[in-house]
Amino acid sequence: MSFSSLLSVEFKKIKRSKILLILLAATIFLWLPAIFNANINFTMQDIGISPENNFLIQGFLGMSWFMFPASMVVGTVLLTQTERSNKGILKMLSLPISTKKLCIAKFTVLLSLAATQILMAVGMYFVSAAITTQTQGYNFMLSPMFVLKEAALIFAFSIPMLAVFWMLSVCIQTPIFAVGAGLASIVPSVLMINTKLWFAYPMCYPFYVITAEYGKLATKMSTNDINLSMLLPVAIAVTVIALAIACFRFGQAERR
Amino acid sequence: MMLFVESKKLKRTGFIAAFLGGGILASLIPILNMAVRSENFVGLSERPLKILLDANWQMMAMLNVLLVVIGACMMYYTEYADNAMQKMRTLSMKESTMFFGKFILLVGMSAVVLALEAATVSFCTVHWFSADTDFFIELLKNYGYTLLLIVPSAAFSLVIASACKNMWVSLGICVVCIFTATMISNKNFILSLFPFALPFQTFSEDAVKYCIAACIEMIVAGATELIYLKGRRAFE
Repeated sequence: MSFSSLLSVEFKKIKRSKILLILLAATIFLWLPAIFNANINFTMQDIGISPENNFLIQGFLGMSWFMFPASMVVGTVLLTQTERSNKGILKMLSLPISTKKLCIAKFTVLLSLAATQILMAVGMYFVSAAITTQTQGYNFMLSPMFVLKEAALIFAFSIPMLAVFWMLSVCIQTPIFAVGAGLASIVPSVLMINTKLWFAYPMCYPFYVITAEYGKLATKMSTNDINLSMLLPVAIAVTVIALAIACFRFGQAERR
Repeated sequence: MMLFVESKKLKRTGFIAAFLGGGILASLIPILNMAVRSENFVGLSERPLKILLDANWQMMAMLNVLLVVIGACMMYYTEYADNAMQKMRTLSMKESTMFFGKFILLVGMSAVVLALEAATVSFCTVHWFSADTDFFIELLKNYGYTLLLIVPSAAFSLVIASACKNMWVSLGICVVCIFTATMISNKNFILSLFPFALPFQTFSEDAVKYCIAACIEMIVAGATELIYLKGRRAFE
């Protein structure tokens, strides 16, 4: 079975899962407070950030710190439990398909869920920026290219994190521990971005990159820059190792 | 009887281990924070308990709510996963009994988690500050207060979990609720009454109001579940 048809099968499996509704609800609740508290954006002059940039960055900070990683943990639950609940995984394993391919196909679905949620957040940003422009009488719209660039940064930096979440959900059979480990690992990322060892903690990458962007846009605030030469090897190693472990462990508990 | 059956169901789900693990993780936060940067806190003029909670409670509360939500989703997921729910419904008992059994267990485990956290907070106080008898009275008050405030979120996450067959739906809704709670500022009293935002509170002048609100929310959650069970029987 080719990878593309395997992928289309995986997408069919989650067709009726209502996951998109949950992801959409999260993005709506992300921007609602921003619309109601829009006047707060005009009080940020002392750190040298323009109101429209502040509006975007505050929303993205809220997204990358808790909402996006937690939604992705829910996504991993979806991907593992749809198969396990009615022993669908046994049927999949009995077919002449490479389990590694199957594992990577499921991870690709997770990546596309991540991209979907980020794009939803971007879409909701334009809606809420349009509303705020009307209510505040000030143009909050930023150029779509700039917004998409920031969104692409979040997505690119979240890949190692997603690989780790996927590894956790494949390796830990007991759902309560898999979910617990995933969600609990998000909480310390606020502390980790302030340490020198932040690049060793994949869960804080998306949050860190947006904090760094915040520092760039706010001229009077100093935040750490991203040292790519240090980050890239660690990030690639984390992704490759996590995916390798996930592929190796995938279906092993069922094959015993 | 019901409690005994419910606790037996949880035996191999890792429920108790997860709560103990999560509780230990949350109670490590103040110790680590004090060990790494005690100089930021020791010199302050406020009461030791207030200093410790101001510095650490947001993260600890976050872990507590996450634990409660995962526990609630897990409890109902074990029922739905292999259609055990259908067997439960054929038994000669009310379905609401099961809900209240699960509810008592969940609150009981939260009490254990909060006790662990109170123990480490008092350890931090004895070690880095000085503790008098007033401190322990204050700690007990705060313990009871946080326990009461975590109950509504436990009740509502159980209601959500009982309504959804699939774990990701209930977990997803609860995660969205927690996320909304983190976006709510403490300054707006009405908004901070959102059940999932209550556990982030610490003892303050408004304590009585929050306690009354928590009790009302608890009753509302119980009533919602009873109405939901009645309504579902009419439609299924």
